[in-house]
Amino acid sequence: MSDASANSSDASADAGDASTGSRFGYARGLLGDHAVHIAVVAAFALYPFVYAILVRTPLGAELDVFLPRIDTMVAVLYIGLFAVSFDFISGYTGYLSFGHALFYGVGAYFVVLAATGKVPLLGPGTPFMALLLVAGLLVVGIALLVGAVSFRLSGVYFAMITLGFAEVAHVFIRNWDYVSSNPRDGASIGAGEGFSIGVPGVDALQVEIGRIVGTNLGEFGPGIAVDATWVSYYAIGAIVLVSYFALQRIVHSPFGRVMIAIRENEERARAVGYDVYRFKLVAFAISGFFAAIAGALFAGYRRSVAPENTFDLFVTADALLAAIIGGFGTLAGPLYGYLFKGSVEGVLSTEYHGIARYLRRALPESTLTFDVAGISIADVINVLVDGRADLYLGIVFILFVLYVPRGILGTLRDRLGGTVAERLPERMRTRLRGWQR
Amino acid sequence: MMDVLTLAFVDVLIDLLQPGTLARIVLDALSKSALYVMIASGLSLIFGLMGVLNFAHGSLTMIGAYLGGAVMVVTVSAGMNGPARFALFFVAIAATFAALTLLGGAVEVALIRPIYDREPLFQILLTFGLVLVLDELARIVVELNGLQPRSKWQAAIGTAPDFLSNWYAVVGISTRGLYLFEVLLGALVVAGIWAFLTRTRYGLYIRAGSEDPEMTRALGVDVRKAFTVVFGVGAGLAGVAGAVLMWDPRFGATVPLSVETLLVAFVVVIIGGLGSFRGTVVAAGIVGLTDALMTWLFQNHVQFAGLPEMVTFLVLVGVLIVRPQGLFGVAEVGGH
Repeated sequence: MSDASANSSDASADAGDASTGSRFGYARGLLGDHAVHIAVVAAFALYPFVYAILVRTPLGAELDVFLPRIDTMVAVLYIGLFAVSFDFISGYTGYLSFGHALFYGVGAYFVVLAATGKVPLLGPGTPFMALLLVAGLLVVGIALLVGAVSFRLSGVYFAMITLGFAEVAHVFIRNWDYVSSNPRDGASIGAGEGFSIGVPGVDALQVEIGRIVGTNLGEFGPGIAVDATWVSYYAIGAIVLVSYFALQRIVHSPFGRVMIAIRENEERARAVGYDVYRFKLVAFAISGFFAAIAGALFAGYRRSVAPENTFDLFVTADALLAAIIGGFGTLAGPLYGYLFKGSVEGVLSTEYHGIARYLRRALPESTLTFDVAGISIADVINVLVDGRADLYLGIVFILFVLYVPRGILGTLRDRLGGTVAERLPERMRTRLRGWQR
Repeated sequence: MMDVLTLAFVDVLIDLLQPGTLARIVLDALSKSALYVMIASGLSLIFGLMGVLNFAHGSLTMIGAYLGGAVMVVTVSAGMNGPARFALFFVAIAATFAALTLLGGAVEVALIRPIYDREPLFQILLTFGLVLVLDELARIVVELNGLQPRSKWQAAIGTAPDFLSNWYAVVGISTRGLYLFEVLLGALVVAGIWAFLTRTRYGLYIRAGSEDPEMTRALGVDVRKAFTVVFGVGAGLAGVAGAVLMWDPRFGATVPLSVETLLVAFVVVIIGGLGSFRGTVVAAGIVGLTDALMTWLFQNHVQFAGLPEMVTFLVLVGVLIVRPQGLFGVAEVGGH
């Protein structure tokens, strides 16, 4: 009895909400559902300003060592997208794509070749957005061909055959002299206008990307120069954001659920009646599309490509590392995982903003030459700190595989019992309500 | 167009079928196959028994190369004669095998054992993390000793006795003594492993465990200890291969050796098939022959420097398409 009345009063309350503030209620609901997403996007968007302000404070030099530079953050965006596309196939279907660098490399080289006039039909003047699309479609074709052959295998053998395809392409691009006069060193675009991201043809809605040649919007405040790197950051960030949300939509759709079913128990999925082969192919093609976009963004920003930063096994390895640290099968995890990797590499870099150079500048001579058993502090810095990011990343990687196998985001999701976007606002609300009592 | 291609093809074929050319290619193939079988055999044993694709295999080979080089550089003095250096080389091999077996066993107990119960993915990932750590540690040690990590260790190559580094004319082909020695060593390693697999108790455990791990465990074999032993021996074999590569001027002890040998080992083991040592030997022969043939083709007819590598990977892809479990493979591992 009381249940029925409670239900009816709930129903009337809902109906009441619907009739009085329906539009606001809907908007508030939408905001509530996406509060976490909005917060993350805002954090990324505000970061350049926060960074610019913080390095001008008295602790600026110290903070500069630990905070990633904007240039690093741009790399985090496009390689993060690559890692996300890798997780889309490997984390959600369980098929490890060890040849994923193939797609990234094709996207990158396509842009460079088109810009240097070596692609038939698409001359140097082609809008960058068109190049992105064509590169993506080209890679979809490649992915379908590779997948058609590879998805008859599974597990280690699938990983090996995709690796085989990627290495064939790697060796090929390293020796193909159509690419440039010295293919081993790669190809570059050189001076000229930066690539434009935005609405093609509408000048007002476009910005040029590129570390040096991009659009420079001048000073924004006391000493905050919105230079080419900043503009590239926002432009590339916009594309990465759209791509991420596209992938997220797919993952949360029935198609995504079939992908997860394939990962959990492929035979059962097949028995229930899904054409798993076709689903795998399409998922592979989608992941390849976005990997190509990531590669194209990389080429558009850096304006030069080389075999070892595009087709190499270690490019896929970067995505693997990012996925493990961030969390396999979480989609957003690899982005944060690569943010971690980029930050560590920045801290331990051999450049002026690395901790090694900072320590050499900041520590007094007496501390640097202080030695124990013939090994001075300076020696320790030179050998164990300067440029040794890979060592510590490897150790972190191993520790994560052993103790945090679900990665940062994965463990967080386990704790919260669902995705962060769904659960965190609720959790915070219940915590707050607890305090109010 | 077609007749130009046919003409070129016939041209190549005529050149190929000269006895001199064939002999050169066969000799090259033999020495490369011997190296590849030494590189891949450790990985084959580990993959066969444990189903773990040990990504760190290349790094262990590289460490073996530097260790072997270190032993030779330290013990060989400038005036030493050939036979003494040759004898010291076997000491170096033994020392490298022992050191790497211990390292492999330690790694297995400390890092791989805890994750047996997880999906195979994590075992692969863990050995991958090991690559980063081992390669970087090797780079640190190498740089501390004043060497360039990316260039061949010339001092180590220089410790080879003259009768091995000299060129000889065999069947009209000029070849280094070292390459003939490699063929001999390769045969010895294959014979040794075959004897180990068929005549010792652990060899029996490995063969049984590769075919049917559950039954083997049910019959009372301590599979865990067998895993540790196999991982150690596999690492030791990788080290031995590295020590041999250290002397070979075509490779030399460098840090990038780890990736080069890793890819070769993968190709050979996958083509040969899971759990079959015979498969590994045959696959090493095939890959060696392909490499030799394509190298000859590149040097004489086709202007494409990456031809041998590319064709090797194409063979890998081809074998996986036609026969997914490899040439002699028994069962599929790591599927869903």
